[in-house]
Amino acid sequence: MAAIVATPTRSSSFPLGLSRFAIRGAEMALGAVLFIILLEYVLQFDALDPVLWNLYLPVFLSGIVTTLRYLGIILPLSAAIGFAVGWARISRLRTISWPLTVYVDFFRGVPPIIIVIFAGILGPSLLPSRFRSEEIGILIGAVALALHSGAYQSEIFRAGFMSVPRGQLEAAQSLGMTRGKAMAYVVLPQALRLSIPPLSNEFAVVVKDTSLLAIIGAFDLFGSSNIFTAQVLLTPGNQLSWIFVVWTGVALVYFLMTFSLTELLNAIDRRYHVKGLEAVTV
Amino acid sequence: MIRVEDLEKHFGPLHVLRGISLEVQKGEVLVIIGPSGSGKSTLLRCINLLIEPDSGRVFLDGVQVNRRDIRPEWVRQQVGMVFQSFNLFAHLTALENVTLGPIRVLGNDPKVAEAEGRKLLARVGLADKWNVYPAQLSGGQQQRVAIARALAMNPKAMLFDEPTSALDPEYIREVLDVMAALARDGMTMIVVTHEMGFAGTVAKRILFMDAGRIIEEGSPEEIFQHPQQERTRTFVGKILR
Repeated sequence: MAAIVATPTRSSSFPLGLSRFAIRGAEMALGAVLFIILLEYVLQFDALDPVLWNLYLPVFLSGIVTTLRYLGIILPLSAAIGFAVGWARISRLRTISWPLTVYVDFFRGVPPIIIVIFAGILGPSLLPSRFRSEEIGILIGAVALALHSGAYQSEIFRAGFMSVPRGQLEAAQSLGMTRGKAMAYVVLPQALRLSIPPLSNEFAVVVKDTSLLAIIGAFDLFGSSNIFTAQVLLTPGNQLSWIFVVWTGVALVYFLMTFSLTELLNAIDRRYHVKGLEAVTV
Repeated sequence: MIRVEDLEKHFGPLHVLRGISLEVQKGEVLVIIGPSGSGKSTLLRCINLLIEPDSGRVFLDGVQVNRRDIRPEWVRQQVGMVFQSFNLFAHLTALENVTLGPIRVLGNDPKVAEAEGRKLLARVGLADKWNVYPAQLSGGQQQRVAIARALAMNPKAMLFDEPTSALDPEYIREVLDVMAALARDGMTMIVVTHEMGFAGTVAKRILFMDAGRIIEEGSPEEIFQHPQQERTRTFVGKILR
């Protein structure tokens, strides 16, 4: 996919993009400092309480790694599903178009948390017994989340394809290009450009939806922190302020993941931006 | 050069082409006029097989090309086409628009294609616009790039589908000038246009189409001054006013 988009561009917007990134980073650092000041001095929480972090840090870190691992599965898989389904639905293959419409309507219409529960519980039972395990259940849940987001992304890609005027394909064909070449060099590069902004929106949702896997027992950042805070509550003489500190930390990490991802897509968007392209109507 | 015999085309219930036959000699310029919906655009698209005719034969250089064993891509790369709405590739610069076909279809060396492309852009008067995107060009400039893009494939003939109809009046002249120069250089051309000045000076032959049929054919003088058919008279009367 990326190889197709990577037509040579002369614009030198990447250095500019990086400096923009630096500015946004500085903004965020400032925000974080203000937030810590708020926690520490206004609300009188000890955000850096060593007793808490001694207990929580391993949970926190392994939770982050686990969440990133699920994201590593869900993001590429959902994008691949979305792209393939979006393309298939605009293609002339009417026979596969109908079941795909059912797929999109179903996964868009059902709450993702229910999809995750069904996938995590029913999924493993469909497998031979020696493969059944909780981890497999969570993995199937992750695939279900990818299918859920893939349904949304297919609509994004479909809209991208449909926004490329028909005349573009016709002009490419008039030069003697096969349908495949016309798609690869003319339609796709334009369709993908148009898909990036809404895609970054959808990716932001996917990052936070990974937390739904906790409901079927995943030790992701949300799940493991949830168990940790429950234990804090059950501990005699518990430190209620810890709970706020933990969830603040968790929220901050989700924010950072989402922010980096959307900034990355914004940078790609700027890199391949074509002057006036969005204004072209034929 | 181009010969068409008994071309028929339906779009669903619409009978768009009802037995069209015509012939264009090498180096000749044929202008087709007619009211909208008369099938002019469909006829052009059947000639380069962008649309597959229902029946009838299309010949290029004496070879029938609408056959199962001839790939339509092979036909299209030999017949250039210029569209009413330009259809420049919006994500590519003027030069990239011109070199895309030679590089990706003909497999030419990009360096060679670029040198050729710059020459073609100079030929249509846009040498300095090579690095500019279509949206930054005026309609007239876009259409001239589109002509250069078609010429880059070194076509045997060129089809123009109302190339100036989408242009603001001040840009029409520059496009017609490029087309007239092309005709002087001996390019075989079929032009659907309502530019009577162009038709009168550049074309040897004019063909009037209505409702999928060729109604009348003749020199510019015959068609404009002494049309034989009532329908031709009415149409010409309207456009000459």
